Amino acid sequence: MRAVRNGLIGGLAGFALGAGLVAAVRLVLGLSAWEEETSLAVGYLFGLTGWLLGVGVWELWAREWFGLEAGPYQVTGWRRYFHFDTDHKVIGIQYLVMFTGMLLVGGLFAMLIRTELLGPFRFVMDPATYNQVMSLHGMFMIAVAITIIMGPFGNYIMPIMLGADDMAFPRMNALSFWLTPMVPLLLLGSWFFGGWDSGWTGYAPLSITNQSGQLLYNLAFMTLGLSSIVGAVNFLTTVITKRAPGMTWSRLPIFVWSVFATAILSLLATNFIFVALLMATLDRLAGTGFFLPAQGGDPILYQHIFWFYSHPAVYVMAIPGIGVALEVIAHFSRKPLFAYRWAVAGIFGIVILSFTVWAHHMFTTGMPQNRIPFMITTEMISVPTGFVFMSALGTVWEGRLNLKPPMLFALGVIFNFLIGGITGVFLADVPTDYQLQDTFWVVAHFHYTILSAQVFGVLAAIYYWFPKMTGRLIPEWLGRLHFWWIFVSFNATFFPMFWLGLNGMNRRVAQYLPQLTSVNVWVSLSAFLLGASFLFFVFNLAYGWRRGERAGENPWGALTLEWMTASPPPHANFERQPRVVGPPYGYGMPDATHGRLGPPMEASGAEHVA
Amino acid sequence: MESTQGERKHLGLAGLLWLGLTAVGEWLVFQVDPFPLQASAEGKLIDDAFVFLLQLAIPVMALVVAGMAYAILAFRSDDANQVGPPILTAGTVTWPWLIVTSGLAIFIVINPGLMGIRELSSGEPADLTVVVEAAQWQWTYSYVDYGFTLNDPEALVLPVDQRVRFEIESRDVIHSFWVPAFRMKLDAIPGQINTLYITPTYVGSFEDDFNLRVQCAEMCGTGHARMRTGVEVLAQPDFEAWAASQAGD
Repeated sequence: MRAVRNGLIGGLAGFALGAGLVAAVRLVLGLSAWEEETSLAVGYLFGLTGWLLGVGVWELWAREWFGLEAGPYQVTGWRRYFHFDTDHKVIGIQYLVMFTGMLLVGGLFAMLIRTELLGPFRFVMDPATYNQVMSLHGMFMIAVAITIIMGPFGNYIMPIMLGADDMAFPRMNALSFWLTPMVPLLLLGSWFFGGWDSGWTGYAPLSITNQSGQLLYNLAFMTLGLSSIVGAVNFLTTVITKRAPGMTWSRLPIFVWSVFATAILSLLATNFIFVALLMATLDRLAGTGFFLPAQGGDPILYQHIFWFYSHPAVYVMAIPGIGVALEVIAHFSRKPLFAYRWAVAGIFGIVILSFTVWAHHMFTTGMPQNRIPFMITTEMISVPTGFVFMSALGTVWEGRLNLKPPMLFALGVIFNFLIGGITGVFLADVPTDYQLQDTFWVVAHFHYTILSAQVFGVLAAIYYWFPKMTGRLIPEWLGRLHFWWIFVSFNATFFPMFWLGLNGMNRRVAQYLPQLTSVNVWVSLSAFLLGASFLFFVFNLAYGWRRGERAGENPWGALTLEWMTASPPPHANFERQPRVVGPPYGYGMPDATHGRLGPPMEASGAEHVA
Repeated sequence: MESTQGERKHLGLAGLLWLGLTAVGEWLVFQVDPFPLQASAEGKLIDDAFVFLLQLAIPVMALVVAGMAYAILAFRSDDANQVGPPILTAGTVTWPWLIVTSGLAIFIVINPGLMGIRELSSGEPADLTVVVEAAQWQWTYSYVDYGFTLNDPEALVLPVDQRVRFEIESRDVIHSFWVPAFRMKLDAIPGQINTLYITPTYVGSFEDDFNLRVQCAEMCGTGHARMRTGVEVLAQPDFEAWAASQAGD
């Protein structure tokens, strides 16, 4: 725990330094030493640096920049998970625990929302509190949606699937993780500064003139963005440079393609949310007026910059889950992934088009000329998305389907995402969007896309790769029960929201009209069941970890490289150098082999193709 | 690759399942009216567009559902040693899929997308103009043709069958002007005026139907959920009498 302690010390010292600088400048100008938001913002900048240096960046990395020796790193056992450990397997678990925790906290906020919405009028909290709880739910879940597959499985599993010994930049990997504890810290900390009520979208001018908690949301999202960018560089470099010999691009498992595509999106788009929030923060602190009409600014500009990131971001929140689903479907259908090249093309079609659709979030802002091109690009993105469904259908067709829990969740991704995608068409179409925008139709649509892809996806990933990561299997009947529990309660919760939206229930409301009560009660009760399913899930994880049957190397009989090493894998992932000799899903082909293990590896590590 | 008897049987049965699900779905579309009260001419256009999209969506959904469901039922195997036929791809599936899905996407862009936008932007002159000002957390309606203003009133009063132009502005943060029964919403953004045209077609008020209300539809702070007024649509003579009495005050 030394690292966390040193990190906290560094963080507090940095904060004091930053706030002290602000105080010094202000005192010289004859002002009071502490100006809440300015002091917080500058303090955070220095505090974040101090935290990172303290938690391990100084001792294990930055010392080298000054000609000093870095390290040594001598932490072993469970303590590694609380240190600046550079082993991608440790970092993957750190991400998994951190973001599963955030998922549960975000879910708690959802339970509070649905409790309030049991009744049309004020029930358990006042509207101001509701708005803050709603905003917290949104932002916690956004952070989870962005990270929960890439962080844990992009880090832990993807390098092993490539036959690599680690990620390309292990220290950057640790850095990208250790940025993330700041996110829940700031978001929860916003409570002490009045919270923020503008939701996860933070539209100006409300987000310029509201409570100080808004600043902490800005800083949290900017920090998450930094972590995303750093991670993206690492994922891209790893896939490009650390593939095992023989792993040509056409032999890449589809999950790796999905990580690669997601990293491209993250790398190219994330700067824009950073900029949007930086400009909003400057509007709050420095009188810049980018988004304030009284100073010649334009609130709509915020939306353009925000959505230029946030639309690609929703594909960051969908593509990994889709990648997991296709991966699992292939292995559990015992068949090649149907139309593999079309599936890859579909994923990249989504990546490219996702940069051209952002203003469909803005159809009701009064933009007569822009509506048309954005409607066109948005409708067209349904075409590459459709290739994913084509591939899934073609894979299960005439397969030998083994309906174990990973497969159930993967099929759940496909089924639920279908509803999400189709209902998006009604939003893409401008005339129908006029009724549906900013209503519960949108809420239902994005839960049907994002929750289906990322949550059902991460559950598929966990049930699939848990045995690899822990050496034990989660009992099958627990997994099945979990699947049906969440599948039914998820659909029961969100499907009626389409009707609610069409029938006049707008978003982000603490109260609604009594005529909508009965449907809201149904939704809330279903949501409580859905929430309970996550507690059951945590129980499954604990039970599997403690008492699960031993898994062995390859409990699923799958062909990809991660199943050709021990569960859990040794430090360098493979004891013998893997070579790739065939496709990843060659089931049914003569001599179906994807990888072969060669001679034992030297201590220096794996050879790889550039 | 030649289709075997078994393959054709599977395709045929799955195809039947698809047709069946499509039929049930389309029947439901005709049977069920999911809409709230439709009280404007624009609302009719939008509801028709919605139904049209739904009718197109159903066979698409049914295709995926039928395919997945049939596969789960017919191709299940608990024996992990069994493998499926190594089908990598099939040009008879991929190219038609691309053509059909692209065609569908282009089709709905044109109708109801572009056609709908064109009709909604017809540019005909308005019979009445109301300036709508949104502020945290109330609505103000100025009947500029008559020279009076309603501050935070019970209801927005309108004449039936008259084209009304709303000029929507905000005094502070972004709000959104929405009458669910009219189906159109438009944001109230500080620093600009957004123009919306509505022709009410139903005489009635909030007491008749709760969707005859103005509801703020963009998060605007603490009072967002309660930022609403009723809407009252009167026959034209009644509206004129009401307006005259308001102007006289």
